[in-house]
Amino acid sequence: MAIEAISLFQPNQINAVQISDKTTVSEAQHNFGDFLKNAIESVNENQKTSDVLTEKLINGEDVELHNVMIASQKASITLNATLEIRNKVVEAYQEIMRMQV
Amino acid sequence: MSIFHGMNTTASALTAQRLRMDVISSNMANVDTTRAKMVDGEWQAYKRKTVTLQPQGANFSSFLNVALGTSSKDSVGNGVKVSSINEDTETPYKLVYDPTHIDANDEGYVEMPNVDPLREMVDLISATRSYEANVTVFNANKSMLSKALEIGK
Amino acid sequence: MIEVNELDIFGGTISNLERGLNFSATKQKAIAQNIANIDTPNYKSKTVSFDTYLSDAKKSSISSYRTTEKHINFEMKNGNVGISSRNNLSYRNNGNGVDMDKEQADLATNQIYYNALVDRVSGKLNTLQTVIRGGS
Repeated sequence: MAIEAISLFQPNQINAVQISDKTTVSEAQHNFGDFLKNAIESVNENQKTSDVLTEKLINGEDVELHNVMIASQKASITLNATLEIRNKVVEAYQEIMRMQV
Repeated sequence: MSIFHGMNTTASALTAQRLRMDVISSNMANVDTTRAKMVDGEWQAYKRKTVTLQPQGANFSSFLNVALGTSSKDSVGNGVKVSSINEDTETPYKLVYDPTHIDANDEGYVEMPNVDPLREMVDLISATRSYEANVTVFNANKSMLSKALEIGK
Repeated sequence: MIEVNELDIFGGTISNLERGLNFSATKQKAIAQNIANIDTPNYKSKTVSFDTYLSDAKKSSISSYRTTEKHINFEMKNGNVGISSRNNLSYRNNGNGVDMDKEQADLATNQIYYNALVDRVSGKLNTLQTVIRGGS
């Protein structure tokens, strides 16, 4: 009997894999800009929270010690994360600048 | 209110138990004191003293503070305090027959203080046990705070 | 389109760990208060309910019901919620309701619970630090 070839993809499936709505370059830049802005805002928020809690700790006000420690760690982590993102963006830019046209 | 709220609670308990022990020592020291107080020209024997304990922080002003948001720790309470040291007027004086005693009354009986050493010893053991339990709580609290300081190290 | 609205790497387990730590800290205060009042007449032991801490922290604060704007707006802070007294329990003749052995056992359990949670949250935060720094 004839053995039919196994095809993993039906011809019409390949078309369906394409992204339905294409993102333009400007949209992608806009999304990334938003993302970076949000990241920086969240760094600021976390730093402020950590500062407020530390002030409360100094003044002997109503705060739990573990909350202060965790908030300071979160502030440090978000700061490092945003720094790394910035580094990668700068690296990518420099990489592109190095390209021979 | 601060991170040391639990320690303050325990400290108040240690103070209260220590005061209780001091009162018990005073009772034991005065078990034979027939001339403690001069009342109406006559000497009265020593009356046994007791302490009344009261929880701290469970009054209306603390609940009001919690509701207004100015403080949120008072709903747990602030420990214990000795509200008063009272004289025990319910247990009667012990009457001992000794006509040769200076303070004997007309029938030859002397009024001895109403201190029962056995009862005082039981109270002392109870106070000591409470004191030790509070020391355990204090150490637990301290170890928890020290552990929290190491977050992220 | 992929939407990334905020840098939310602290959700899930870390926020649950924080809730557990808050519960454990409040329970520690309740146990301290109970043991401090072991000899106080008519004192009823305090307990802390865990369920109040499982839900979202914002929902666990109660704000006042105001019919006009002039009413003072006050909120019960969610610092120490979930505390209740066992008012029907009486162990001694003076009306005291504190079971010393149970409180001691709770003290030891709570301490281990707190230490365990601190360990875990510390571990997770360190992992995040390593992951973020590890690239450079």
